[in-house]
Amino acid sequence: MNSNSIRSDHLSRRALMKGALATASGGVVMNWGGLTNSSALAAEAKKERKHCILLWMNGGASQFETFDMKPGRPTGGPFRPIDSNAPGIQVCELMPKMARQMDKVAVIRSMRTSEVDHPGGIYLMHTGYRPAANVRFPEIGAIVAKYQGLDGADLPNFVKVSTQGDAGAGFLGPKYQSFGIGSEGGLPTFSVSNTEPARELKRHDLRSFVEDQFAAETKSEVAKMHREAYEAARRLQKTRDAFKIDAEWAKYKDLYGDSEFGKRCLLARKLVESGVAFIEVGQSSYDSHADNFQWHRGLVPPMEHAWAGLMTDLKERGLFDKTLIVWTGEIGRTPQINNRAGRDHYVRCWSTALAGCGIKGGQTYGASDVDGVEVKDNPVTEGDFFATIYKALGIDPTTENFAGVRPVPLAPFTSKVVESLLS
Amino acid sequence: MPFNPAKSKLAYQLTFEGSWPTSVAFFGGNRRLATANQLGQIVVWDLPEKPPEFKADPKTEQKAPNIWPVRKLEGHTNEITRLVATPDGKQLVSSSLDRTVRIWPADGAVAGKTAMILDADARKREARRQGKKDLPTTPGITLETHTAGTVLEGHREWVYSLGISSDGKRIISGDAAAQIIVWDLASKKSVAQWQGHPWNWIVAASLSPDGKTALVSENRYKRDDFDIPGPALKLWNIETGKEALDIMKVQFPKFNPAERGYSPSQVWRKFVANGLIATAYSPDGKLVAVGQGGETDTGRVHLLDTSSGKLVRTVSGHQNGVTDVIFSADSKHVISVGRDTCVRICQVADGKEVAVLGSPRGGQFKDWLSAVALSPDERWLAASDIAGMVHVWDVGG
Repeated sequence: MNSNSIRSDHLSRRALMKGALATASGGVVMNWGGLTNSSALAAEAKKERKHCILLWMNGGASQFETFDMKPGRPTGGPFRPIDSNAPGIQVCELMPKMARQMDKVAVIRSMRTSEVDHPGGIYLMHTGYRPAANVRFPEIGAIVAKYQGLDGADLPNFVKVSTQGDAGAGFLGPKYQSFGIGSEGGLPTFSVSNTEPARELKRHDLRSFVEDQFAAETKSEVAKMHREAYEAARRLQKTRDAFKIDAEWAKYKDLYGDSEFGKRCLLARKLVESGVAFIEVGQSSYDSHADNFQWHRGLVPPMEHAWAGLMTDLKERGLFDKTLIVWTGEIGRTPQINNRAGRDHYVRCWSTALAGCGIKGGQTYGASDVDGVEVKDNPVTEGDFFATIYKALGIDPTTENFAGVRPVPLAPFTSKVVESLLS
Repeated sequence: MPFNPAKSKLAYQLTFEGSWPTSVAFFGGNRRLATANQLGQIVVWDLPEKPPEFKADPKTEQKAPNIWPVRKLEGHTNEITRLVATPDGKQLVSSSLDRTVRIWPADGAVAGKTAMILDADARKREARRQGKKDLPTTPGITLETHTAGTVLEGHREWVYSLGISSDGKRIISGDAAAQIIVWDLASKKSVAQWQGHPWNWIVAASLSPDGKTALVSENRYKRDDFDIPGPALKLWNIETGKEALDIMKVQFPKFNPAERGYSPSQVWRKFVANGLIATAYSPDGKLVAVGQGGETDTGRVHLLDTSSGKLVRTVSGHQNGVTDVIFSADSKHVISVGRDTCVRICQVADGKEVAVLGSPRGGQFKDWLSAVALSPDERWLAASDIAGMVHVWDVGG
């Protein structure tokens, strides 16, 4: 501490910071968007903002056991298709609840992507780019946080619940870094202060004072970011209830299904309602190299129940039209069934789905061939997929950010928006 | 002829390619063998008393003669999960993912004829060898067709498990919605039914010799790494419809099936592995055998006392998991098959493995043996493998 400082300096500095927070709309705190704590920010939050919920099927769900069935073919497996409420669209019998919502879902049956293993695939399907040694590409969540998030409010703009993506904010910087929630829904331990409020405030004042002195003397960007992180964490204290679903769970258990994934989806809805721009909700264990059919029978029903419940809940609250739901994993699964009763990794032809936020539901885009081996019509690359998502969210996919001096568009060069998916 | 597995000899290797064979059973005599597959087909062989002369070609995996089946049982529309036969051999019972259980009389009338190609893989290999896209079109075989005498339709979901009492009067079937039904074979009516945990499916079920007690194994593949419902292994009194013994509670007094996080699953994981998917009641009614299935390091068979639920011993060991288990008629041997392409036969008294039939094949992961059956006279032991071959050993010494 600067031994020449006096208490009044310290207090006035804190007051100044308060004022800055009350009026600034950018750059003061990192990636903090929802539940505004000032009237100015509340007004900002009322502007029409779009949200995105990424339902992440970690390990790679099988297209044959979800949205692109091949009944009666050697690649088909034992499940049977059922009709949906969208004329001509059938889904797997494991998805009866989603079958009743397919008029609001667009399925892409012609994904052809370029990373066949998990680490690369997870990176690819979170960023739109293949891993590169010299550029750290930001995840979609960081991009949505930047372009649809609200600076300066109490909740993060990019929240991850039980997921695997680890690319983070990349070259967008820590301001857009994700805020992670554990698999069982709890806030990280660091988010809760165990110190008495008055004592904590004193400590905070002292730390702020020291930081300010340091920042003034060194002009350090790191010090600023450190300050921002601390401020964000402190403000989170006020909004911790947004992450609590225990009291509501009994009411929503039937709608979302009694599963951990269902709880995570309810949390996602709550966070959208609180203004969070991007929430990723993960379900693990789709990497079914063995016993693919039993695994999908265990995994898909709770997933589809929760997904259908989420869509219903968003619709009832008037949030569906401004919330994009993206259903994907990092890879698809092989048409061939191996001698472990499993399906391996496959990216030549697989399926993803989109719903809400202006997506034209009740359609399939692209097609696979008779055995699901190759894309027959309208291949969609990872770049096309991300470009379409960004456009649905009102973000120009050609917008460039800079990795050092290198301009990098949000979706890779040559990516095409699949316009027919958008209304 | 005494059961003498130590002196067993491979007698037949029957070709049933095109889809994974899933189950085998002898019915209608000691040499009539039925095998089912994932397409819902059942074909039946009448094995000669003496296998024909055969000279093995070292370039192929065929080490014993093949003969072709003579009839096909038609009706199922999805994978057949289990076949069992009545002890008198007069009826074959099948369960299927098409949600039905079907009963086939051994002396059923011929319904018609059909052509089948059972050597589809051999044809593919030949086409590849010749550099052709199309498979050889030489005719397949012609079989008589039969239809089921009775179709039992009480299940709303995949019928995944099937068992029969050794007095042949009752069968038990369990489905993927955890519904269990005990049927009276004479009347073809349900005599008892109950529901397991709604998340679970009935992965194996067996009846005591008198048909009055049921052993039911419930399992559910995980819903997430942090959402793993607990399994169930229970004896049920069919007459009262009540639970007679919760074997999981005996093994793990603190076991709570309502806890479904990762940590609680570690309590039972070693005992259950990826599901106790094979069960058998010993003919003397004193023991049950339960096999660890799903892909697991080494699938073992637990022998449990039926009066106390306590573990008597653990026997056998199939790399990657057990797929089926039966007892010999005198209850002295337990016979298991698994994902290591082997039949393992162990003495119940001391757990000693007295014979291993077959040998691992299929690359890094082996072509499982999916099911095993013993002829009523215990001379023939049959096991189906997922590569499309049914192996029959003469185990009569």
